[in-house]
Amino acid sequence: MIGELPPAPTGTVPFGYRDVAPDEKPRLVRGIFDSVAARYDLMNDLMSGGLHRLWKRELVDWLAPRPGQRLLDLAGGTGDVALRAAKRPHGPIVVCDLTPAMLTIGRNKAIDRGLIDGIVWIAGNAESLPFANASFDACTIAFGLRNVARIDLALAEIRRVLRPGGHFLCLEFSKVVVPGLRALYDRYSFDVLPALGGMVAGDEDSYRYLAESIRRFPDQERLAGIIAGSGLGQVTHRNLSGGVAAIHSAWRL
Amino acid sequence: MAPGTDPGAEGKSVEGRAKDSGRGIDPKLLEILVCPLTKGPLRYDREAQELISQQAGLAYPIRDGIPIMLVDEARSLDQPREIAPPGDRQP
Repeated sequence: MIGELPPAPTGTVPFGYRDVAPDEKPRLVRGIFDSVAARYDLMNDLMSGGLHRLWKRELVDWLAPRPGQRLLDLAGGTGDVALRAAKRPHGPIVVCDLTPAMLTIGRNKAIDRGLIDGIVWIAGNAESLPFANASFDACTIAFGLRNVARIDLALAEIRRVLRPGGHFLCLEFSKVVVPGLRALYDRYSFDVLPALGGMVAGDEDSYRYLAESIRRFPDQERLAGIIAGSGLGQVTHRNLSGGVAAIHSAWRL
Repeated sequence: MAPGTDPGAEGKSVEGRAKDSGRGIDPKLLEILVCPLTKGPLRYDREAQELISQQAGLAYPIRDGIPIMLVDEARSLDQPREIAPPGDRQP
């Protein structure tokens, strides 16, 4: 059974179970996504038994896309959130991801589905976003905040690029709240998941990182506190699948 | 849009059109894109396919139509472009 892990020592940030310098993390994260990009969508389906699709649909439901809503989807490389939003009446969508290889996959998917209009693809780091103040009405990040080196910097940037009244939504793995499920989930993520990653994506280490990074990520309440601490207001959250994932919602007031 | 403003687009494959989109940057996008370092304005160099931040002294490449707004991958304006032969260096 995996216990609570201590936070990273001062001056470092978590990278799986390792502690690394903040400046080192983007390179390491990028290495992982360069490695898994081609198999990323397939792996998501296999790992979650398709559940990630339901979770992303919940996210887009909560977002409620509409014409004129300028959306920034962070860490959205392969377009899963953006293309879901684009199937409904929507405004301009900007997808921003640290890994260009992930964006190329997303853009090709958009072309295949005939959804190229109104979506642009930008490589950028969530900690130093390349967008002017108050450029967006909404910002989503699905399974991305965990991979950011300094969450507080990323949240401050998100707040900056949202207009007052803008909506922030974060979908992320969280803490399983159903006791029986937790033991099963631990076994699954540390035994089954890396093996599956090894077989399908040829990259066991990247999927071990996934399991480890999920355990070290703040749970529902702590994340809500961190988001509130960034100056975003009216923070609420909703558990998905017994807390395997959660959506946090906040507003730029 | 007036007819004939985009001749040839109709007959092109999706791939061909995607490549075309790499040649230009949507002006509306340029309005919101800033230098990630200084948050200052960017100048679009269509010829070089770069977004230039004069304040930061950096040029961000546009690769395959995707602006790469990462400081680590930007070219310092002191350095010549990679494609330029060494002889083109200013004295």
